[in-house]
Amino acid sequence: MLAMRHISKVFRTDLIETHALRDFSLEVAEGEFVAVTGPSGSGKTTFLNVAGLLEGFDTGTYHLDGVDTNGLSDDARSRLRNEKIGFIFQSFNLIPDLDIFDNVDVPLRYRRMKAAERRERITSALDLVGLASRAHHLPSQLSGGQQQRVAIARAIAGDPKFLLADEPTGNLDSLMARQVMDLLEQINEMGTTIVLVTHDPELARRAQRNVQVIDGQVSDFRPYEPHAQPATFAAAAAG
Amino acid sequence: MFGYYIKLAAHSLRRNPGITSLMVLAVALGIAVCVVTLTVHHGMSSNPLWWKNDRVYAVTLDSWDPEQPADDKHPDLPPPQLTWRDAEAVTASGIPQHAVRMFKGYGVISNDGDGGGVRPENSIVRVTSADFFDLFDVPFRYGGGWKAAADAAPEPVAVLSSETNERFFGGANSVGRTIRWNDRVYRIVGVLGEWHPAPTFYDLNNGAFQDPEAMYVPIGWAPSLELESAGNTNCWKPESIDSFAGFLASECIWIQVWVELPDAAARTRMQAWLDSYVAGERRSGRFQRPDNNRLTPIDEWLRINEVVRDDNRMLVALAFAFLAVCLINTVGLLLAKFLGRAAITGVRRALGASRRQVFLQHLAEAGMIAAVGAVLGVALSALGLHALRVMYASPREGFTGLMHVNAWSLGVAVAIAVGAALAAGLYPAWRIGRIAPSVYLKSQ
Amino acid sequence: MITQDIRPILSALLRNRTGAVLVALQVAIALAVLVNAVYIVKQRVDKIGRPTGVDIGNIIVIDTIGFGAGYDHMATVRDDLGWLRSQPGVRAATVVSQIPLSGSGSSNRLFKTPEAKGEGVPMNYFLLDDSGVDALGVKLAAGRKFRQEEILPEDPTFNQPVPSMIVTRALAKSLFGTDNAIGKVAYDALGRPVTVTGVIEHMQGSWVDWDKLDHVGLLPRQPSGPNATYLVRTEAGRRNAISKLAEEHLSASNARRVVQHVRPLDYYRNRSYQSDRNIAIFLVAVTALLACVTALGIFALATFNVNVRTRQIGTRRAVGARKVDVVRYFMVENWLITTGGVLLGAALALGVGYSLSRAYELPRLDLYYLVGGVVALWALGQAAAWQPARRAARIAPSVATRTV
Repeated sequence: MLAMRHISKVFRTDLIETHALRDFSLEVAEGEFVAVTGPSGSGKTTFLNVAGLLEGFDTGTYHLDGVDTNGLSDDARSRLRNEKIGFIFQSFNLIPDLDIFDNVDVPLRYRRMKAAERRERITSALDLVGLASRAHHLPSQLSGGQQQRVAIARAIAGDPKFLLADEPTGNLDSLMARQVMDLLEQINEMGTTIVLVTHDPELARRAQRNVQVIDGQVSDFRPYEPHAQPATFAAAAAG
Repeated sequence: MFGYYIKLAAHSLRRNPGITSLMVLAVALGIAVCVVTLTVHHGMSSNPLWWKNDRVYAVTLDSWDPEQPADDKHPDLPPPQLTWRDAEAVTASGIPQHAVRMFKGYGVISNDGDGGGVRPENSIVRVTSADFFDLFDVPFRYGGGWKAAADAAPEPVAVLSSETNERFFGGANSVGRTIRWNDRVYRIVGVLGEWHPAPTFYDLNNGAFQDPEAMYVPIGWAPSLELESAGNTNCWKPESIDSFAGFLASECIWIQVWVELPDAAARTRMQAWLDSYVAGERRSGRFQRPDNNRLTPIDEWLRINEVVRDDNRMLVALAFAFLAVCLINTVGLLLAKFLGRAAITGVRRALGASRRQVFLQHLAEAGMIAAVGAVLGVALSALGLHALRVMYASPREGFTGLMHVNAWSLGVAVAIAVGAALAAGLYPAWRIGRIAPSVYLKSQ
Repeated sequence: MITQDIRPILSALLRNRTGAVLVALQVAIALAVLVNAVYIVKQRVDKIGRPTGVDIGNIIVIDTIGFGAGYDHMATVRDDLGWLRSQPGVRAATVVSQIPLSGSGSSNRLFKTPEAKGEGVPMNYFLLDDSGVDALGVKLAAGRKFRQEEILPEDPTFNQPVPSMIVTRALAKSLFGTDNAIGKVAYDALGRPVTVTGVIEHMQGSWVDWDKLDHVGLLPRQPSGPNATYLVRTEAGRRNAISKLAEEHLSASNARRVVQHVRPLDYYRNRSYQSDRNIAIFLVAVTALLACVTALGIFALATFNVNVRTRQIGTRRAVGARKVDVVRYFMVENWLITTGGVLLGAALALGVGYSLSRAYELPRLDLYYLVGGVVALWALGQAAAWQPARRAARIAPSVATRTV
């Protein structure tokens, strides 16, 4: 599903070079639920931006669902994001002046899709997260947990193969956080690959597999025992 | 997709009503000021007989003082009018399809006893030859012009303007009835339809936007009634004139001459005739200046007579400077607004919107502002033109008549609005389209 | 203190310069338009305000025309003037060939010698009678008014010479090089002499756009019919009442004559200056709108900047900036932007002024106007930024610690 090999990315300013990712390699198989953890400044965010095709990288290769993302135009990257990836952000990032229905509609709008099909997808996504009755509320009228569930609905409405969740419970209390995690597990069981980026080991434990990033490299991994699933990744810890 | 952009634009515009109204107002004011000045400018420079521009020519000859040009400011131009004798000769040349010689006369028009007690009134009367009506395509409501023979005789016949006919005959068909001019009886042969050419290109001597004539009478009455011009009479030559016949034979210029030449060949023949006529006169001591015998089409005639004044051009320039400020203002506000929601745009980009889609979405917003601005702008221009009509309220109806929103103004408004949408929208939309999708996601 | 502020503000501006550049551009165009518009308006107002030399506020113009064989011009004029002069409140009345300041008039050329060499001096002349000087209310500087027996009968050929004339000082200077012209003789194009019998201080003639508007001569002759135009000078405050009376009387007194207009002389002057006045009004209106749009643009952008920087401002406050420091930050920022615009605008204003002076043959733009315009735009910018700056100062320091 996701195959990063020997990725490195450097931020340069006039004075210093920061190696955000160094020879970073990670593979995630289809249907997996992987948690990426690491302390602040470890390169988690850069990994998220690269994995989500929000930013490019300097060296290495990155295949997403078999597509080599190297050298893709901005438009092609936009299309890949739109069709293959669903984003879930820590701060929800709902558009405040659109109602719930229209928020879920946003990614669908950027595809050539009939109005009826869009409506059906929005409704079923909102059904799944249990907010169909709030379709015409504004984000500000919902609680944080509800807002994040809307964001999840928005992420899955386009039926992506791959969900990228960035601290999805960071702004939520524990009850709401549990609901969101339940929802993500439910979605994963339906076949969607999920990569969860978090600094919270408690959350990470609910994933099938944990990957720890330190100093821009994968430093440790713990295969999830019950599903002795793909051991095909190469966690090359060179140097 | 377009519908979606429009929906988003409307949504976004409703969200900041203050900024939105400021932008719409700026665009509307810019459009309004431009439409007002351009409408007046266009009206002033328009050719009321445009369909005959390649056939109708003003005739001018340089019969002026050998020592100095007729107009110090334009030494290359011959005087704008002709002497009586030259005008007579040109129209008698037989080459033009139609030829007119004429001047602006005046006098008291009164009814001849059968029109009820209408108050006599001093009026402008055009003293002209028979071809006037055909040459200038003047529309008739009743009857028609007079025969060329009526000029020579002269016959006491007259053509009334529709206003004069309204005044003396209540708008009824007055052909065959009589009217008095300076207490002499004239038989009415024709009544004009609505005819208010603006500018009054055929006689620009006393301003380009004059009241229309009340009546038209044959030119032959000028010598027999010793009629003076109510327009300009200019004389350069010291000569002792002690009779009207002496005046007609003098070098004083006061007659306008126009000819209709249907094709290039006729034009060439007419030019050759003028050159040879002037050469002949020169042998007898007249026309001591270099040859400057001109056949001037109407467009050119309006230009050399400076119907559109420097002031009008300055106002148009001012209007565009104003529009520029309004648009720069709008660019600044749009940019601030678009960048102010860069985070949301970042989300859209993360969710798969391409640069092009983001660009078009924001361009649609600029377009919507321009569209609403254009509608408001047209309303404001109507208001502005009304104010101008009040400011210029004067007997010069022909000028205030230009000050209306017409199809041309609407076209200008639409063109400026499209230009404004592009000018004000392109850069901000492009800037926002460049937003990297990742930048704003974490920073909240 | 202020200069210490400028460097960080300037570098912040330069890092995010598009908005500032746009405001500066507006200021630049506004300055160029404002300076030149004010300059042109000043010229037009001066032109309209030039002294006329006549008693402009108290003169009535009565414009009549006779028609038909039954109309006796000489008798009608005699009767009309007799009636007008006998009315209480009338100081003087004359018949005149043209209405001063109306845009309609006559001129010819005078020469210093009978040979009539060269271009001569143009004279805008008015035919009138022995009451002419009093009816116009012009001030006699030397010599005498016309005597009754001096007035010549009408001349339909416009070609008979007059032996004497009254001229303005300006015309006398052009003709003789001195305004001490009594008894001096000029010649018409045919070499016929005319002697100056009076000099008046000043009088404006027919055409307000003519550069020799004050080259006026009064000639002692009865204007020819069938038009008869009267100038009636009344005592102060009696003009309107006498106008009404005269219109009623003259309209009824002669069936062979039409009274076309009874109007104050002011009317003709206003009509002649109509386009100058309207251009001035239009310039003032558009310039005022331009200033408003520019001020609103500055205001809106300053407001936006404050909104965008809420957190930054809160942080500044949290680390110890006083309200006045925040206000000063925004005011200095605005002043820097306006100054940039003003520098560009000064160049633009001079360029526009130069091309206008060529098109209108006017003196070059006076630099005082530029200085005034710069000060005005600085003030406009500061005024527009004041409210947003105050609003910025009200942002609470606690926003710095607030999460979204």
